[in-house]
Amino acid sequence: MKHRDRVALALAHQAPDRCPMQISFTPEFASRLRDNLGIAAAAMHNPHGGGNTYVLERALDEDMLLTSVGWANSYYATDALSENGVHYTDEWGITWRNVPYETQFGIGHYTEIADHPLAEDDAFDTYPPPDPLRPELYAEAHRVIEEYQDEYWIVGVTVCTIFETAWALRGLSQTLMDLVLKPELAAQLLDIPFSYHLTAAKKLVEMGVDMIWTGDDVGSQDRMLISPDTWRRFLKPRMATFIASLKEINPDVKVAYHSDGDITPIIADLIEIGLDVLNPVQPRSMNPAKVKQAYGDALCFWGSIDEQHTLPFGTPAEVEQEVITRLKTIGRDGGLIIGPTHHVQLDTPLENFWAMVNAIRQTPYTL
Amino acid sequence: MLDTIYQSVLSGNAPETAQGVQQAIDAGLDPGEILNQGMIAAMAEVGQRFEAGDMFVPEMLIAARAMKEGLAILQPHLVDAGVEPVGKVVLGTVKGDLHDIGKNLVGMMLEGSGFEVIDLGVDVPPEGFVAAIQEHQPQIVGLSALLTTTMPGMQEIIEALVAAEVRDHVKVMVGGAPVTSDFANEIGADAYAADASAAATQAKRLL
Repeated sequence: MKHRDRVALALAHQAPDRCPMQISFTPEFASRLRDNLGIAAAAMHNPHGGGNTYVLERALDEDMLLTSVGWANSYYATDALSENGVHYTDEWGITWRNVPYETQFGIGHYTEIADHPLAEDDAFDTYPPPDPLRPELYAEAHRVIEEYQDEYWIVGVTVCTIFETAWALRGLSQTLMDLVLKPELAAQLLDIPFSYHLTAAKKLVEMGVDMIWTGDDVGSQDRMLISPDTWRRFLKPRMATFIASLKEINPDVKVAYHSDGDITPIIADLIEIGLDVLNPVQPRSMNPAKVKQAYGDALCFWGSIDEQHTLPFGTPAEVEQEVITRLKTIGRDGGLIIGPTHHVQLDTPLENFWAMVNAIRQTPYTL
Repeated sequence: MLDTIYQSVLSGNAPETAQGVQQAIDAGLDPGEILNQGMIAAMAEVGQRFEAGDMFVPEMLIAARAMKEGLAILQPHLVDAGVEPVGKVVLGTVKGDLHDIGKNLVGMMLEGSGFEVIDLGVDVPPEGFVAAIQEHQPQIVGLSALLTTTMPGMQEIIEALVAAEVRDHVKVMVGGAPVTSDFANEIGADAYAADASAAATQAKRLL
């Protein structure tokens, strides 16, 4: 079965030969995996797809390939360190630092935001947002569609669509307070990335991607970060416009929404505005079986393998068991693209990684 | 008058809180009473509403900001009246981890419970915690981590406290998204708090 047909069947709520799979990696885990597979080193791996060769994804028999346009590409933009604690500035004027961490498998780095160009109110008057229509932004998406769409399900990535890019521009605490104290300024702020990513997503749909991956982290570990009503006031109308605009261009294009954490109170809202796929269903925040039971008729899912405990700290047997459990619950009768709920991190033992991949690849849907 | 302060903290109205505290001081109210019945009572209600799911991080942040503005005015009067904090907490996000909003919320809720908080910031190495404990002599040290890759650093900190012979002098409280009660037990922490409100409750229990 072609990879893209496997995904299409699952998203039509049918069970393919096996559950479709999508896995991304941090740059350092990608290096370990390349060594493990005997694949020659390449340029730094970008988990969102920027500059990705897809050699690992294809070697693993994954079914979807991701290509990203937008602020998410600012993550892992470089692993170089420079002076003054600021290591690069992205096209939004947001500055970044590469922060090292140590695991039993070596030293990795995370890219962390250092400073926010819209921290002061008066900066709004003169802020020039980046231009989302520069042709070079879409060169890679063109290549991916041309080279791989016959075989793979192609996903245009515009995650961090509204809220996350907004708070990167402004600062998280300040943005959260703005939502209550300065609603008009908050709306003005949210419209900057919303407008950019909507333009980018429309362009990607026009180019022919099969799915757009959108969304913002609005969940924390055991509840929403902002109240459901705040989400409904500021983010739901924009996301409704976003989804409707894409479906207007291509009624068959699928839309996936990402939020880490527990976002149970807004799942029904997302279905109401036309969402097709919910990602990543973080299992330590939301019970995947219950989410399937409550919303599985109207919604498909993507993710669900625990990246907070099972993959880094569990045993291979526990990882395998989790895959089987997911296939029988949230993946029952299709409707699931399975994979870890975040990029696989450097702290994950390769034994656990392969236990996940092998269980997914070797478990037929007749289980 | 105390009710005005209570309500203005609860609704996150910083100017009204500052004004209310000033009026209460001018009217000769006891600074300890203004603190306890006005601001600490309001922050306790914020914590309860947060735990009940009636308040979220934005509302908690603005309530804490209002409290801080009121406290800045009240502080010298508390000192004059000899009102002591209920306890002292050293707080920080562990080495390699720059995430601070959870840690900041914990600090705010602790202050809102009457604690003195020494916030070491983010990316704090084990020796940073040891030095702060030696300098400030807190009853409690609070460790925060958002990442699975930095969470194991909490164990190194506890080991560093043992090596520096200060482990017996402080209670260790841990929290952050991937941190669990089981993990806290495994590394020998004294308490785990799932959120900022729980951290304030746990800290009072640890005293």
